[in-house]
Amino acid sequence: MSQTQTIELAPETGAAESRRRFLGKFTSAVFAGLVAPAVMQLAHNDPVLADEVPAEEAPSPTAAARPAAGDVKPISGEQSVVDRMLDDLQRALKRRADGQNVRFGMAVDLQKCTGCRACTIACKAENMTPPEVSYNVVLEQEVGSYPNVKRTFMYKPCFHCENPPCTPVCPVGATYKREEDGIVVIDYDICIGCRYCLTACPYGSRFIDLGKTYTDPPQPYETSASPEYDESRVRAEGGSPVGNARKCHFCLQRIYRGMLPACTETCIGRAIHFGDLDDPDSVVAKLIAARSHIRLKEELGTEPNVYYLV
Amino acid sequence: MKRILTIAAWSVLLAATGVGLAAVAIRVVQGLGVTNLNYIVPWGVWVAFYIYFIGLSAGSFLLSTMIYVFGFKKLEPIGRLALFSALIALIAGLNFVLLDLGHMERFWTVFVNRNMWSVLEIEIHFYVLYIAVLLAELWLLMRRDLIRCGQGSDWKAKLCKLMALGSRDTSEESGAKDIRRVRILGMLGVPIAIGVHGGTGALFAVVKARPMWYGPLFPIIFIVSALVSGAALLTFLLAFFAGRGMPKEQRDDLVLTLGKITAGLLAFDLLLMWSEFSVGFYGNIPEDIEVLRMMLFGPFWWVFWFVQIIFGAIIPLLLILLPASGKSPRWVGFAGLMIVIGIIGVRLNIVIPALSLPVLPGFDTAYTMLPAPSQTTLAYPPELLTWLTRLAVVAAVVSIVAFGVIGMRRLRGQPGHVFERALAGVGTVAAVLLLVFLIIRWTGQTTTTAAFNLGLTGLDLTHTPIGGILGRTELHSFYIPSPNEWLSSIGVIGLTILMFIIGYNILPLETKEGH
Repeated sequence: MSQTQTIELAPETGAAESRRRFLGKFTSAVFAGLVAPAVMQLAHNDPVLADEVPAEEAPSPTAAARPAAGDVKPISGEQSVVDRMLDDLQRALKRRADGQNVRFGMAVDLQKCTGCRACTIACKAENMTPPEVSYNVVLEQEVGSYPNVKRTFMYKPCFHCENPPCTPVCPVGATYKREEDGIVVIDYDICIGCRYCLTACPYGSRFIDLGKTYTDPPQPYETSASPEYDESRVRAEGGSPVGNARKCHFCLQRIYRGMLPACTETCIGRAIHFGDLDDPDSVVAKLIAARSHIRLKEELGTEPNVYYLV
Repeated sequence: MKRILTIAAWSVLLAATGVGLAAVAIRVVQGLGVTNLNYIVPWGVWVAFYIYFIGLSAGSFLLSTMIYVFGFKKLEPIGRLALFSALIALIAGLNFVLLDLGHMERFWTVFVNRNMWSVLEIEIHFYVLYIAVLLAELWLLMRRDLIRCGQGSDWKAKLCKLMALGSRDTSEESGAKDIRRVRILGMLGVPIAIGVHGGTGALFAVVKARPMWYGPLFPIIFIVSALVSGAALLTFLLAFFAGRGMPKEQRDDLVLTLGKITAGLLAFDLLLMWSEFSVGFYGNIPEDIEVLRMMLFGPFWWVFWFVQIIFGAIIPLLLILLPASGKSPRWVGFAGLMIVIGIIGVRLNIVIPALSLPVLPGFDTAYTMLPAPSQTTLAYPPELLTWLTRLAVVAAVVSIVAFGVIGMRRLRGQPGHVFERALAGVGTVAAVLLLVFLIIRWTGQTTTTAAFNLGLTGLDLTHTPIGGILGRTELHSFYIPSPNEWLSSIGVIGLTILMFIIGYNILPLETKEGH
């Protein structure tokens, strides 16, 4: 079985990567400056985040100095949840570099999801997915009847189950759960496109690339190389990934460069948390330990690695 | 007249196959984009036809084992025909799988990239073994005839000689030896054929993501319905095309016997279906019941009621079992054809409704409108329903009167009038329609002013154990096969029929003396 080794770049190799990481930090710092009061408010209610926030160090958004290169400091002294997740990721990558296995997963705070679908858009932009393929979706439901109505939103990526029902059915073994980090991936060059895995996933996390494009003739944003799996594939007629099953891979190409998955980074409500579930100090592990949570369709024994905090 | 009909039939077959193969070519070039498949319903008509043909194949083969393994000598004249149709049907089924792959050019990699935990991979092994057994059995049975027909010098003789693979022994002893070998192969073949179609059922039965498929009864249903379709196919072939070498009485008797076997198997199949539906409805588990409702009352309700039940089961059963038609080989053969076509409805209803229910609530509207028209429960004008109901009630009354008159005449020993029989027949069909329409009306189309509600719409059945059957949620289908999907299917089926006709005319599939 040919596994994609190219992904396993050491974190922060080359100038380009560190620049990307810097820019990531920069944007998150600016963003934190804009919503710092709101974040503080949430942090005080959040048992996991609160212990990290000294109350006396009140944030002053106006004092946010323009960060100099190489000196990106959290605005109010405390670490934002994004920074903590980035640190978690660094620790996980270090463990990986030491040859240890990690288990990437998510904790999604349903109270914080506003249903803006920025995660869906960020994912589409990052992985350049075609029409009818969306690695994550936001399930929207109307609950109750008028006048006692409310809408609920649920961000849903691939759950990267511990016992994925989609992988054993593959007749060619093109899809498998990676031992080293628990991510369920698809080898586009092996997949024959039988779509058995689409029927076998109880969560609708798999999609078929039917070769469609948003524009006709396709615009450059649809025909340029996708960073997925670090394979730089260009969608062209007949060639993979057209005709293949496709799914969320927690943005493998990003996380092994020390960046968070696109959906996690972009989430405006900070509802999505990503990290190593086996690391007790990670944000995800702490949130899951502290908050009551559910996983979807537990009765099927799939053991999803995405937890919903309720 | 007969000549004109033959020419017409051939032109239709060739034209349909030609157009269909052109559609296949378009699909090969343009990929799966020509289908209406999508992420909610990723399997469509092609997969339905795949399991249909695999079923026909396994059914025909299992019937042939009745002769060669279990010694049911009466069926011996159709043994080779059964094996040959099994082979052709299997090839058709595999063609449909090929047509359905996102990367057709990689089909051969299933033998290289292995995953022994996949039921599909296990199935592929069964198919290979099965083809080997079929070819070996067919060759052994035809061997002596191939040698005989290889005596001449024309192209057919040369072909026979080639197919005889250098074998020269035509003695009786060698023939007896062949039969013993066939018997052993048949014994091996029984578990393989059960694996072939039971395993195809298991493809679906192991998918716990789809409650409708998931369950231990599913592979068994597949095997039983395979037997039904195989027996029905052979009944039809024997009644209209095959067996021309046999004496007429023997052939007629054989058709009637096969018809009875088919009817018995079909009745058992219906029993299994009843078990599936009644237990499902009683259980009232939403994911399960929504799929059952989709079959019975969804946008494609007519596939279940008209194709599967009325056309594919009730009418053929009546044709075979009623004394008037059950003694005529033509009618019984026609009943066989109806069952063979009706099973297509069964296969479509296995694949598509179970997928049409989104795996999570809100998944269908989560991110995009599907380009495939998403069809809701059938929309018909309320007046139409009322008028159809009225017509149906009148027709039912007429048929009851007609049956009464026929019965009276019978009692007096007079033959019934053709007109009365026709009335009774039309009336019966109308009465069945009445039942169907009333059931549909129960499901929520009750806004119409009921002209003949017969007190049924006033019944509150929603709080009974079968309440789910009357659930009021809207049923959506996210998949309507695209023109290309239908045309390609016709192309593959046309090719299959052509292969069958050519093979049937070249190979010594029939022999007067038998073994």
